[in-house]
Amino acid sequence: MPATDEIRLSNWPMDYAVRPCAIASFFVFVAFLWTMPLQHVIAYPFVFLFFGAIMGSAWFGGMIAGFVAVALSSLFVTYFFVPPLYSMHVAKESQSFFAAFILCSIAITVVSSSRKRAESAIRIARDQLEAKVQERTAELQRSNLDIKESERQLRILTEAIPQQIWRTDPQGRIEYCNHHLCDYLGQRTEELKGEAFFNVIHPEDNALFRQGWQAALKTGDRFEIEARVRAASGGYRWFLVRSISQRREDGRIARWYGIHIDIQQQHRAQQNLVQAQDDLARMQRSLSMAEMAASIAHELNQPLTALVTHASACREWLQAKPANLEKVSATAEKIIQESMRAGVVVSRVRALFKKEEQVRELTSMNRLIQELARLLRDEAIRKDVSIRLQLAADLPQLEMDPVQIQQVILNLAMNGMDAMMQVAKPRELIIRTEKHGVGEILVAVEDHGPGIAPETAARIFEPFFTTKPQGTGMGLAICRGIIEAHDGKIWTENSVRGGAALQFTVRSQS
Amino acid sequence: MTEKPGNLVDQRETVFIVDDDESIREGVSNLLEAVGINAKCYATAEGFRAHWSAAMAGCLLLDARLPGIGGVEFQERLRTSGARIPVIFMTAHGDIPMVRKVMKAGAVEFLTKPFQKEELLHAVEQAFASDRARRIEEAILDSTRARIESLTPREREVMALVTSGLLNKQIAGELNLSEITVKMHRRQVMEKMRANSLAELVRLCERVRLPL
Repeated sequence: MPATDEIRLSNWPMDYAVRPCAIASFFVFVAFLWTMPLQHVIAYPFVFLFFGAIMGSAWFGGMIAGFVAVALSSLFVTYFFVPPLYSMHVAKESQSFFAAFILCSIAITVVSSSRKRAESAIRIARDQLEAKVQERTAELQRSNLDIKESERQLRILTEAIPQQIWRTDPQGRIEYCNHHLCDYLGQRTEELKGEAFFNVIHPEDNALFRQGWQAALKTGDRFEIEARVRAASGGYRWFLVRSISQRREDGRIARWYGIHIDIQQQHRAQQNLVQAQDDLARMQRSLSMAEMAASIAHELNQPLTALVTHASACREWLQAKPANLEKVSATAEKIIQESMRAGVVVSRVRALFKKEEQVRELTSMNRLIQELARLLRDEAIRKDVSIRLQLAADLPQLEMDPVQIQQVILNLAMNGMDAMMQVAKPRELIIRTEKHGVGEILVAVEDHGPGIAPETAARIFEPFFTTKPQGTGMGLAICRGIIEAHDGKIWTENSVRGGAALQFTVRSQS
Repeated sequence: MTEKPGNLVDQRETVFIVDDDESIREGVSNLLEAVGINAKCYATAEGFRAHWSAAMAGCLLLDARLPGIGGVEFQERLRTSGARIPVIFMTAHGDIPMVRKVMKAGAVEFLTKPFQKEELLHAVEQAFASDRARRIEEAILDSTRARIESLTPREREVMALVTSGLLNKQIAGELNLSEITVKMHRRQVMEKMRANSLAELVRLCERVRLPL
């Protein structure tokens, strides 16, 4: 009987009484029917068939059926086959035989039923095992199907998404390329194994690409590079090549997965932007040059005028009768002075138009500003602005690019003067210097124009941001670039006089 | 026609240099001194204005771009205030609109820096001549005004009517006088005004813009 049946207590009369009795009765009756005719053929005492009945009952009906069979068999044997026959009395000489019969019967019952139970237990266990195996097998099959399906989906995905995807072994040898990559390169995956994969990289980017890839293979770190990749047509496009490694449980690299992202558009846009920024920067510079050209012409014409008049005077003093040599000498001195002054102007102009490379010269900020103020003089008169310098006396000399710093101050001063065009006279622009920590100088350019709105102040140093109708939006952005290259900061504040105060710092770069 | 007032010739003509650049002031004044022309320097227009009086002879050598009040604006102010001193402009970069403006306002010359001695001296000569003429004219005006001052009210009435072209008879009718009396007043007027003819009298009156 299945082990589970024992638990069904509601059925216990059936399981423990009716069924064992029925089985035992059936077997014992069959044994009796066979023994009746056969006792005349086989010598006494012939009761072995009852052993079979008991064994069968115990086997099929369990221990209870076995004992019922033992009881029934004892009754039948006593009555029919033990002398005196047809009585329940057992003769003295047969008593030992009868006792042996009962003992054997009980032993058979016990052995048979326990064998049966053990066998059932084994069978049940086996059944359970089998059920479990079947269950697991089904599960495995199901998950195998799932895996296959998701693999299929993934493959569809890698083929369908419009990106160039590849995979390599841990040594970086190509194992798989999706058809977008193959189509772009005009080669099959098999053809791309080994060197071919590098040969499609632009010669100029090739060395860097290999270097980066080898380094990534060694460390297992993410690999990312921008490089030109040759198309089937022979032309090159810019790609962002990105690859990450997949590791096994033991930490070793299993594979590399990579993607080629076409960034030709972005790259071109970026290059255009850089180009535009360069152009604008140059334009801005030449614009301020144009503005300065007038000042420079004025600057140069002043000493030239003095020179011409002094020289003419000198000739007059010489031609006088008698020649006034004292005046001649004094005038010649003036001529030398004015020539030197003209020379300074010329060298400053040369400095303005010189080179792009970084220059660092030990410079006095105050002298720089005084020079600039001279250049600004003409513009200031034209705009009806007076320029006041408030220069701190104890400033250290710092390493800087004097021309660039002058450009920054010029830009700030021009902006300041422009800002004051809308306010009533007198207009005054203050250029102030002060010590700002150790080895650091602060320069402030203050106007008393309308000031800068907070939302504007936040963006004022961004490229292309301008509040002027004709502005390029590059002036202050370039200023910031210059100042940052000098380890400084540039920012706006509201001036105590009500306008804007643009300030920057320049730091010693030792 | 008329005699020159005696003090005009004696007065020393001076070039008043106004430029904020010291080296320009020094150079130009040195040159002028060398050729024997009196020169005086000022760094600002205001400085010059503070020293100047209508009696000063000479001309103004003015930088077109000056800090504070600009040269061009200063010329305008001078003109509107009635100061008729001739002005020579100088500039390091003259633009045409500016030149046109100052020349229209009566500038004698416009010198572009750097300028030559000849240009400067020519301009100064011109300016001096113009100033001389101005002073002569002003002197004549002054004496004419003085002569008019010497007329009696009746004589002034007669002069007004004479210069407006009326005949003696008409004037007599107008003023309710006898023709003889008019003739007498008229002779008196001609004498006091030192006019030899009616035409001269009319010119004198026109010059001082005598209200009729």
